[in-house]
Amino acid sequence: MIVRLAWRNVWRNPLRSGIMIASMVFGLLGCLFMVGFVEGFTASMLENAIRDQTAHLQIHHPDFLLNEDLAAWIPDAEELAEKIRRTDGVQGVAVRQVVDGMMASAASSRGVRINGVDAEHEALVTGVADRIVEGGGLTDDARRPILISRRSARRLNLRVGSKLVATFSDLHGEVTGAAFRISGLFETPASGFDETNLFVRRNDLADLTQLTQANEIVIRLRDGSQLDAISPRVRELIGGGAVLRDWGEIQPVLKAMLGSMATSNRILISIFVLALGFGIVNAMLMSVFERTREFGVLRAVGMTRPRVLALIVLESTFLGGIGGGLGVLVSAAAVAVVGRLGLPLGAMAEGLGSFGADAVLYPSVPAATYAMVLALVGVISVFAALYPARHTLKKRTSEMLAERH
Amino acid sequence: MAIVLHDLTKIYNQDTDFPITAVDAVSLTIGAGDFVAVMGPSGSGKTTLLNMMGGIDRPTSGSVSIDEVDITGLADKDLVAFRRDNIGFIFQDFSLLPVLTAEENVEFVMQLQGHSASECARRAQELLREVGLEDRMDTVPAKLSGGQQQRVAVARALAPRPKFVLADEPTANLDAETTHGLLDLMQRMNENKGITFIFSTHDPRVIARARRVIVFEDGHVTEDRRQ
Ligand SMILES: Nc1ncnc2c1ncn2[C@@H]1O[C@H](COP(=O)(O)OP(=O)(O)OP(=O)(O)O)[C@@H](O)[C@H]1O
Ligand SMILES: [Mg+2]
Repeated sequence: MIVRLAWRNVWRNPLRSGIMIASMVFGLLGCLFMVGFVEGFTASMLENAIRDQTAHLQIHHPDFLLNEDLAAWIPDAEELAEKIRRTDGVQGVAVRQVVDGMMASAASSRGVRINGVDAEHEALVTGVADRIVEGGGLTDDARRPILISRRSARRLNLRVGSKLVATFSDLHGEVTGAAFRISGLFETPASGFDETNLFVRRNDLADLTQLTQANEIVIRLRDGSQLDAISPRVRELIGGGAVLRDWGEIQPVLKAMLGSMATSNRILISIFVLALGFGIVNAMLMSVFERTREFGVLRAVGMTRPRVLALIVLESTFLGGIGGGLGVLVSAAAVAVVGRLGLPLGAMAEGLGSFGADAVLYPSVPAATYAMVLALVGVISVFAALYPARHTLKKRTSEMLAERH
Repeated sequence: MAIVLHDLTKIYNQDTDFPITAVDAVSLTIGAGDFVAVMGPSGSGKTTLLNMMGGIDRPTSGSVSIDEVDITGLADKDLVAFRRDNIGFIFQDFSLLPVLTAEENVEFVMQLQGHSASECARRAQELLREVGLEDRMDTVPAKLSGGQQQRVAVARALAPRPKFVLADEPTANLDAETTHGLLDLMQRMNENKGITFIFSTHDPRVIARARRVIVFEDGHVTEDRRQ
């Protein structure tokens, strides 16, 4: 009966409850959209970073981590890569030789990392092959092909087919270099990466550095969420001669940024729900205060204080539950629709490029976040009832009955 | 059954410079099955007296005993349960719960007592038939006339099988004809079921129907007669 009474009391003033519920729905819609936007943005940033840059795991010689020394190569890299390829959940393993150097055209020169890759395996690991916007990949038949980013090409005033001189130190510390011909231009959403990376065939690079071995192994998993399960197995294969790092260790800034965005999302949600809570307190105060005499009658005919408290808490929880539930439903539907269609960022995309997120954003909100919002709304609804209830319950029954409205 | 008031006193604003003695050392005994009117001018202390008899308000001094139970000594929690099980209340403004139907209003206190839903429904329907509202059971108070609402209130007051019913100016919001209808009903319940009724009123027509009239003035009983 108390439940029925509470439910009907919520609808006693449909306009007031309706406005309260509508404000909760719109509030949550706005809040969850913001969250979805940030989530979508970070997810895109992370996905792109893993896809184009770090993959999930990388292996290096410990000395390489100190100074990126060419000589710090990984023993038996090909064999190791082959073993890792056979591990469950691994999508691809690429073996690279990387060296820092300069690229120069007639117009200017810049510092870059030269990635000597093996196109076939590389395609299973990083997405640069899919990011080619002009020309083609590093084919076997061409002579010293090179992939540079469209950005770099523009700066150096180069196009597909142009020659580009790359210089770097060889294994013995002698400066060496060669002319490469641009076979294609790539473009990833991360402008910083684009400006500082170029790709050549590994054997072309090996000829010039006089190092046949590889100094980088890059591993892509089928499912990134399996990272913690798979890395120990890979680590076992490596033994002591090399170091395994995951994307978070390779890009600690990115990892920290994702973490801080998650935290800011939680704070955003908490503040919103707290604000909703004050709205509920207000609605409950009005509703309880104008019914003082009615509560007096309930007390007179034998309703105990705990039951009156339960009634008020139930009313508040119903109000919060309807508003929160509807708000989450509407938000989930809206986020799902926009998440499917995508939200073109237009001019903003250029500025966000330095973060490495896509130009079209797909907002998404994890189910756990919706659940958290509902739980928080539930808790805040209960708390919102306490002050009005306390105010009423501390009055004497005769006082309450004497009140007229 | 008897209600015994002993030296019952209520002083409002006792700690201030203007204490108001609303009920002044009243001693009374009301026997089982009586039909009692408490009359007196406005501000004479009728509501205060009835509230103390019903355990809604606590006296400043003196005691109220109902069937040998000194309710002034009960803890709040026990007093609520005592009210629920022993005293029926009828209010001047009917005070039905607006969101419940007539039947649900009558069932409400019985549910607080812990009776089963079917038992509550059965008794509520029976009582509503007795007060002549068998065709209004599913109607909410706002759609009932004042007289009908007060009949529901009578049924609600009787539902928990109280020892007596307290009614503070039950007819003040009713017209003459409805007042008589309601008094007929209360009298019938009194005569047929032996339920004690104690009601306050200004209305001479109501006083005329009482068996015992207690005249109250300025917190004192100035006259106590049987008729
Ligand atoms: N809560 C209170 N605080 C202070 N004084 C009060 C309070 N309640 C009642 N009084 C005073 O006590 C006296 C008796 O009031 P009470 O309401 O019992 O009279 P009443 O006979 O019921 O009057 P009415 O016929 O107008 O209902 C009045 O002087 C009133 O002003
Ligand atoms: Mg009064």
